[in-house]
Amino acid sequence: MSEESKTRILILDDEPIVCKRLKPAFEKLGYEVEAFTNSSEAMERVQEQDFDIVITDLKMEGVDGMQFLTAVKERSPETEVIVITGFATMETAKESFQKGVFDFVAKPFKISEIREVVKKAERKKKAGEASGKGKG
Amino acid sequence: MGSFERIKHKLAFWRTRTDPTSFAVLFARFQSILKRNNEILEIMADMGDKLGGDYVFDRQYIIDVSNRLNDLVYKIIYDLNMLTSQKYVDLYHAYERIQSQIQAELEGRPAYGDERLVVFYEEVTMDDIESVGNKNANLGEINSVLELLTPDGFVITTRAFHEFLGESGIDKILKDIENDIRHGATSLETISKEVTDKILQSEVPTGVAKEIRRAVTKLKSKLGEERIYFAVRSSAIEEDTEHSFAGQYESFLNVPDEEVLDYYKKVIASTYSPTAWEYRQQKGFLEHEISMAVGCQLMVNPRSSGVLYTMDPISPEKDLMVISATWGLGAPVVSGEASADRYHVSRDAPYTVKHLNIVHKAKMLVAEEGGGTREVDVPEDRQHKPCLTSEDIERLAHVAMVLERYYKRPQDIEWAIGENHELIILQTRPLKVQLPYMGEFCLLPDITQGQKVLFEGKGDVVQRGVACGTVFVIETDDDVGKVPIGSIVVARHTSPRLTKAIKQALAILTDIGSPTGHMATVAREFRVPTIVNTGVATQMLKTGDEITVDATQNVVYAGKFKELCLYELIQEDVFEESYEYRLLRRILRKVVPLNIVDPHDERFRPDGCQTYHDIVRFVHEKAVDELIQIGERSSKWLRSGLKRLELDIPLGVSVLDIGGGIKELENKNVVTMDMITSIPMIAFVKGLCHAGLWANEPVSVDLGSFMSSLTRTFSSSMASPEQVGKNLVVLSKEYMNMSLRLGYHFNIIDVYISDSVNDNYAYFRFLGGVTEITRRSRRARFIANILEQYDFRVEIKGDLVIGRIKKLPRDEMERRVVLLGGLVAYTRQLDVLMKHDDHVNHFEEEFKQRIGGLLR
Repeated sequence: MSEESKTRILILDDEPIVCKRLKPAFEKLGYEVEAFTNSSEAMERVQEQDFDIVITDLKMEGVDGMQFLTAVKERSPETEVIVITGFATMETAKESFQKGVFDFVAKPFKISEIREVVKKAERKKKAGEASGKGKG
Repeated sequence: MGSFERIKHKLAFWRTRTDPTSFAVLFARFQSILKRNNEILEIMADMGDKLGGDYVFDRQYIIDVSNRLNDLVYKIIYDLNMLTSQKYVDLYHAYERIQSQIQAELEGRPAYGDERLVVFYEEVTMDDIESVGNKNANLGEINSVLELLTPDGFVITTRAFHEFLGESGIDKILKDIENDIRHGATSLETISKEVTDKILQSEVPTGVAKEIRRAVTKLKSKLGEERIYFAVRSSAIEEDTEHSFAGQYESFLNVPDEEVLDYYKKVIASTYSPTAWEYRQQKGFLEHEISMAVGCQLMVNPRSSGVLYTMDPISPEKDLMVISATWGLGAPVVSGEASADRYHVSRDAPYTVKHLNIVHKAKMLVAEEGGGTREVDVPEDRQHKPCLTSEDIERLAHVAMVLERYYKRPQDIEWAIGENHELIILQTRPLKVQLPYMGEFCLLPDITQGQKVLFEGKGDVVQRGVACGTVFVIETDDDVGKVPIGSIVVARHTSPRLTKAIKQALAILTDIGSPTGHMATVAREFRVPTIVNTGVATQMLKTGDEITVDATQNVVYAGKFKELCLYELIQEDVFEESYEYRLLRRILRKVVPLNIVDPHDERFRPDGCQTYHDIVRFVHEKAVDELIQIGERSSKWLRSGLKRLELDIPLGVSVLDIGGGIKELENKNVVTMDMITSIPMIAFVKGLCHAGLWANEPVSVDLGSFMSSLTRTFSSSMASPEQVGKNLVVLSKEYMNMSLRLGYHFNIIDVYISDSVNDNYAYFRFLGGVTEITRRSRRARFIANILEQYDFRVEIKGDLVIGRIKKLPRDEMERRVVLLGGLVAYTRQLDVLMKHDDHVNHFEEEFKQRIGGLLR
């Protein structure tokens, strides 16, 4: 059996504290994590590289989170996007479901909550891949 | 809520018949105050939760939540003034004051109302980091929170530093040359010389100098000394963090008091030494980020001193701490100039010495008479002797581990031991541990593999962190005092009593308990890893078991799992070091502390309110007063509505039905319980009138032999005739608001119970008593313990107890309200009996036994 490759996560939030806390939390669990506070840098990065899971805020200065996740989904539809957002943007967050967002988590959240959502996304993705292979 | 509208509607007929002021409107105001009161207290509790480390929150959260508080507090003041015909407009001033302080914090203006130029160490906590620098903030914190001995003295703040730079014109010079520096146009040496010369030639601003002199005088009179000496030490922002800056700035020992100003300038000047400047440039610091506070610590003249690393920085896997020690002052050890005794000590109690290397110590540094330091010969008999006794080592090691646990990082500690063996901590800061070591324990799944999990994902994490140690199960009250140092404390209930054990504990696990209770707050304060509500802790664990608690991932492992502890310690992410954490803590200081409690206290005034909590407390108190007065005044015109309730106990209660609370019968003035249809009222009276709880005698025969010592000074009939009618209950089918004066006690019970779970809530407030405060607070503790055991969120301050619970299904709510009735009955005179701390436990047991059947 070949060695399973690590799940790759990209985190985008213009509040550094969010990246600072999420990155090590997920790395600890064995994920490969890249975190960005600058959305244009994140945008560049997703053009170079597909991620398994993208975690992004919606309301940020500069690039709009919605634009970002749309770009992610366009380039790599298999990527599962998880939206993290403040109470104020909850309505917008619901809209984002239409863009194929996997789930959203309201800030502030417990690390265990987002961990569970990521695990679910991971399971869904794996199941999708498995069935995809089956067909091919 | 639709019920407001219904209440208003039901009340409307009074207005048309009699009173010009609509009671309905007033009552709706009162309701609204209660509702906002609850909301505010809940937001406060939520904010407190966020400090536990389990949540990820950002600045936006802090801003949002502060705005919500601002809004609610403003509205609650408005409501009170509407209720009372503008009696308390001064509250708006208190509000504006607090609100603008919060705003200033949010905008990052250093605003503690804090224009302080000099602060005494005893006032310093970690929250003052921006004004006193990291080193001083650490010292203040470990002294006030951990109660460790640190040097007395004061801090000249960063604000003083900026005033100095401003007044001396150095600010401008720095601005002008910042570009030159960036482009390398001028050499650092040249600029450095210009700036430091200018600093040394300038006068310390008069305001600053005056404050420093005042502080010196105050210390002198405190000590009763003519002349005092200081260690004058740098404490910049970011110094003593991961950026270290170790040795970049100067410190001076044994400075006589009259020279403090000169040495202050020297420390400030060292901020602009070429090496310090270069270091900052390498690290990417901008000049405007530089902020230097200066600590003036009373000089300690130790027998021996040195440095302790809580972990060997080169080979942490050895699991040993390293102590370097010498005779006299520790400066030569700190700078690494002198050879020193070296001890490798185990990191677990009883801290055995694994290695020791005693060197020949010919010279030592001592304080010179009149100022400065001098190197002298070590007395012959001490030259080859170890400079620490085994007791010294044990104490030092213990304190070091306390510090490491508190800061959740390996620590680099400067310490001194006096001739009388007193241990003084001079400084503590994070220790960088060698990275190659990380490789072995890179990923959590790798290191946790194969470890036996006892339970996981049970209960609520109150404070994150990891600890391994030996279990101590608390079964009785006495056990609380017996907790050995470094235990993992396991208890059935979360209880304020456990607070005593927290400092001895490495971690805390409980079966039942609220993550927002008093104990949780204290656990967070001391940062002791804590999980409550596990349901299984006391079943799965017994005293003496070795376990590892991971309150970060919420797992409990069998055995001492050292790798996990080490792994946690070398994590880079220490949440408590983040700006957001400090900001939230600073804001909470303007919100949460309760300074006004007793309505009879003269500070119980709008201008005595220092926090939002004070305001809310004040508003609530006055609103209830007002409502009762209205109730009394209105009894004439409300006669048709206000009825007297006849109970089996001697208690006069006036009842006002606002909708479906009483069966529609003929217009009688007296009602009995069989006519009451209000869900909460039925439950409450069931508890209140339960035989065995409403004791008519203050001393009942079965209370045990210790009762015989009681003097019978207290009237047995609490409800004297003149009090009849002062107790008011407003009822509807689902609602009950009761203001109950029993003797000197004052209870408020506000409950809504229906079949829609989300609307359900119960609020209980208890205050007062006739005996002295100790007994009253014992009773408060008793009430709090009981409430916590029944899942109430409890807040306790002196003898005020507030319990809240909500969103439980109807039958669960009813049980709780029966409990409240029972509590009110049982505690009527309890303070008289509470002669001893142990009685709290005794009465708890008795109460539970007596009410037992009712709650099933």
